[in-house]
Amino acid sequence: MAIINQATKELQVKVVFYGPALGGKTTNLVQVHEHVQTQEGQKGKLVSLATSSDRTLFFDFLPIEAVAIKGFKTKFQLYTVPGQVIYNTTRQLVLRGVDGIVFVADSQYDKMEDNVKSFQNLEENLKTLDLDLDEIPYVLQYNKRDLPNAAPIEYMEFLLNNREMQAPSFGATAHKCNGVFETLNMITRMLLHKFINESNRVKQLV
Amino acid sequence: MALPQLIAEDVRELDRLLGDLVTRSEATAALIIDKAGFLITQSGDTSKFDATTLAALAAGSFAATQGMASVVNEPNFNSVYQQGEIYSLLVQNVEYDTLLMVVFAAQVSVGAVKYFSNSAAPQAARQFDSARKRAPGKTLDLARMNLEDSSEFFRKVAQH
Repeated sequence: MAIINQATKELQVKVVFYGPALGGKTTNLVQVHEHVQTQEGQKGKLVSLATSSDRTLFFDFLPIEAVAIKGFKTKFQLYTVPGQVIYNTTRQLVLRGVDGIVFVADSQYDKMEDNVKSFQNLEENLKTLDLDLDEIPYVLQYNKRDLPNAAPIEYMEFLLNNREMQAPSFGATAHKCNGVFETLNMITRMLLHKFINESNRVKQLV
Repeated sequence: MALPQLIAEDVRELDRLLGDLVTRSEATAALIIDKAGFLITQSGDTSKFDATTLAALAAGSFAATQGMASVVNEPNFNSVYQQGEIYSLLVQNVEYDTLLMVVFAAQVSVGAVKYFSNSAAPQAARQFDSARKRAPGKTLDLARMNLEDSSEFFRKVAQH
């Protein structure tokens, strides 16, 4: 759950990048870190708990502050999970307290089964934390659109975005930073709308 | 259970507790951390390190320890202590959602740090409990946030 600190007018939000192994979750964070506009000296550090071969072992972590929201400091903490199937316990740990999710799918045809399994795994892991994907804002990112064996977006929508409530989705080529900021800004918008609606609901109850 | 919204009074009280803990145990810094990885408040000299990152890593490390506890059927791994050559760290459970972290010089007595942390943690837990019981009307009014102000919350640096 997000933290709202009235003393410092600060909202802290946790976004987790989820998806199959080698899909580009860490690349998303690396690109945000490299390209995000920040006030001087405000740039957070990207921390990667990875193996010697650069595979995520526990999580990557990047703190960033959103701009242009009147009167509020909104601090976003971006996490990735390890995509490899064996690290499921670790994925559950990172999901604790999650506010929003970016599901990074691999567009290559031969990765479709991994995508679907990873999405199912996300739903299962949320259940173990008493969370429900229907209540958590999430965005789909279809990464690696530049590869020749990328499946059509419509096909990926059919496989991954077929729930009752369709989620916003973006094609991306994360290593060229295409689609990365579009995805991040959408999940940010959805999260802030959710908090504002909840805040309004509380006011009506009082 | 989720972390309650905190008002100035809560943060003041937590800061006082942390300040006392730092002074009495001669620690370098003390932090209150949400188990999701957020830094809630801090006291002492945190200028030497990145407290935001430290908080996220401490929460991850504590969560991993809890995972190990459940694998070996241990119901109570309450703290994590790491001894170093320059600095040592103690991360201790406060309540369901929060942790207390103390950073102290390696030559400072870990016994003293544990002793004073053991008394600070339940006091912090009581403060969270009282914040939880507070009327829901006293929350931060997020409706004043103007989302239409910006179509882009995060902007890419222009390419050269």
